[in-house]
Amino acid sequence: MKPDLADIDRLPGVHRIENCSKEQMTSLAMEMTHAVYPHDEVYGQYCPIQDYINCPPEKAFEYLADVYTLEEWTYSTRDFKPVSDDGLFVGLDRLGSTTKIYVRVVVNREAMTVDFHCSWDQGEHLWMIYLMRVVPAELVLGKPGCVVLWTNCRHPNYDRNPYPETAPAGRKIWVGDMWPFFYAGHKIELDNLKAILEYRHANRLPMTIGGPK
Amino acid sequence: MKTISLVGAASYLPARIVDNAFFQDSVEERTHVMFQGVTQRHHVAPDELAHEMIVQAARKLAVRLNLNLTKDVDILMTNVTTPDQPFTGCGADVGKALGCRPDWIIDVHNGGCVSFISMIAHAQALMTCHGAKTALLCNVQNAAGRLFAQEETRKLKQARIPGDGCGVAYLVASSEAPVKAVVQRNYCEYAGDMSVIRADGTKWWEPSTACTFVDFNETKIAQVMGRANRIVPEVIREACRRAELPTNEIGTLITNQPNRLFLRNWREALQVPRERHVSTFERHGNLFGAALPMCLEEAIDSGQLKNDSHLVLGGFAHAGDFAAAAVVHWKPTVR
Repeated sequence: MKPDLADIDRLPGVHRIENCSKEQMTSLAMEMTHAVYPHDEVYGQYCPIQDYINCPPEKAFEYLADVYTLEEWTYSTRDFKPVSDDGLFVGLDRLGSTTKIYVRVVVNREAMTVDFHCSWDQGEHLWMIYLMRVVPAELVLGKPGCVVLWTNCRHPNYDRNPYPETAPAGRKIWVGDMWPFFYAGHKIELDNLKAILEYRHANRLPMTIGGPK
Repeated sequence: MKTISLVGAASYLPARIVDNAFFQDSVEERTHVMFQGVTQRHHVAPDELAHEMIVQAARKLAVRLNLNLTKDVDILMTNVTTPDQPFTGCGADVGKALGCRPDWIIDVHNGGCVSFISMIAHAQALMTCHGAKTALLCNVQNAAGRLFAQEETRKLKQARIPGDGCGVAYLVASSEAPVKAVVQRNYCEYAGDMSVIRADGTKWWEPSTACTFVDFNETKIAQVMGRANRIVPEVIREACRRAELPTNEIGTLITNQPNRLFLRNWREALQVPRERHVSTFERHGNLFGAALPMCLEEAIDSGQLKNDSHLVLGGFAHAGDFAAAAVVHWKPTVR
């Protein structure tokens, strides 16, 4: 059965040219366009960031897809080792001093998406998911290089550690306590990524460190 | 609610000025944004009592407003960060020293850095329901000299931020400089996130020689900053909405003075230009609850607060368990 479009035009919050005139649309857009937006409104539940990087998209994708490069461009994740042969790794997140961080890198080469499925302390439930996508800048900005998009969603576990028994004894902080600083922290890490990729690409250096130290 | 007016403010600063050299003044303190921006602050003397500070400020206020303090105080309210005595507040001591006998003495121990606004709300309620005509509101910050100057505490980064002082203000049941809106919001879910502790883990009532400080870490900074960025602009916008004052018509903004970045963020959020936002942070540090009336006095004396303009007060307490804002149409008559 074909869906009835009149139905969707009656849904509250749906604005289409069929049920909302161009004048109404303009007035709605004006109402929604502010000079400033509260930090919490922009970054309270989702943390989307992005930047242009002067490095070919394929190279950026290869770099991100290599789990060991996290030790270079992230602020505090280090010393990754494979846990099993199915792609699960464990490292240290020095933000939480001796905290273990588990990660599985899920990639789609065609779409150039690199998703880091992570968790502090335990590797059973990887709920901290860093969604990244490399876009050829030629397509979206009309110039060489790439754009990296990066989003985190505020999983309820950020607000409450569901597995407190797996934390190192005496640790006071929880990864989600830092949510108000996620924009800043991730922006700093994206700046790291940009600086490293642009440096290696400009100097024709090997892009990845190629496995564990 | 009965219309009440905020008609004047005065302050007292302890004599002792402490510069940054008194603290651990290393590169770390000088470069961490959380601890930058204070060049000096005042500290109470070891034997200086809260009620004595209030009396000094109140006498100054009485001269300015031509008050007879023995009879012109129906309501006397105090808020003191580090009380002189554990069992009682100092309101009655103030009354004794000033020779007055208010109908109401209320020593509030909540509201923290915006207790001044909650005292305005209390006074308005009492003026409305019980016919009180005048109120003297008194805020004392004395934690800097009493706690943060302690030998071990002063080595901590946090110790350089607080500064001591006393601010008092006078309310009357009239419409000469009306309080157009007062909004208070309690966020009890954040209660207890700021705690004052001792290095050896003893409670304040237990015997100890250990130093006292605020339990503080980098995670807490993230949490408190996130809350302050959110709840302070929200409560100020709500007060402006109720007062039918567009935020771009805020004539003078006075907030509590926790640090340079919070002040910047609130200005940005409300789009209030820097010259309309009163700040004493550099000279006096974080004055806790005394900041509002002390900044008010400064804004009046400097001419920054213009006659027939809108004064907006706002801020938050502790680690975000309370936020409040008020709008005053500032046009006091000469007394």
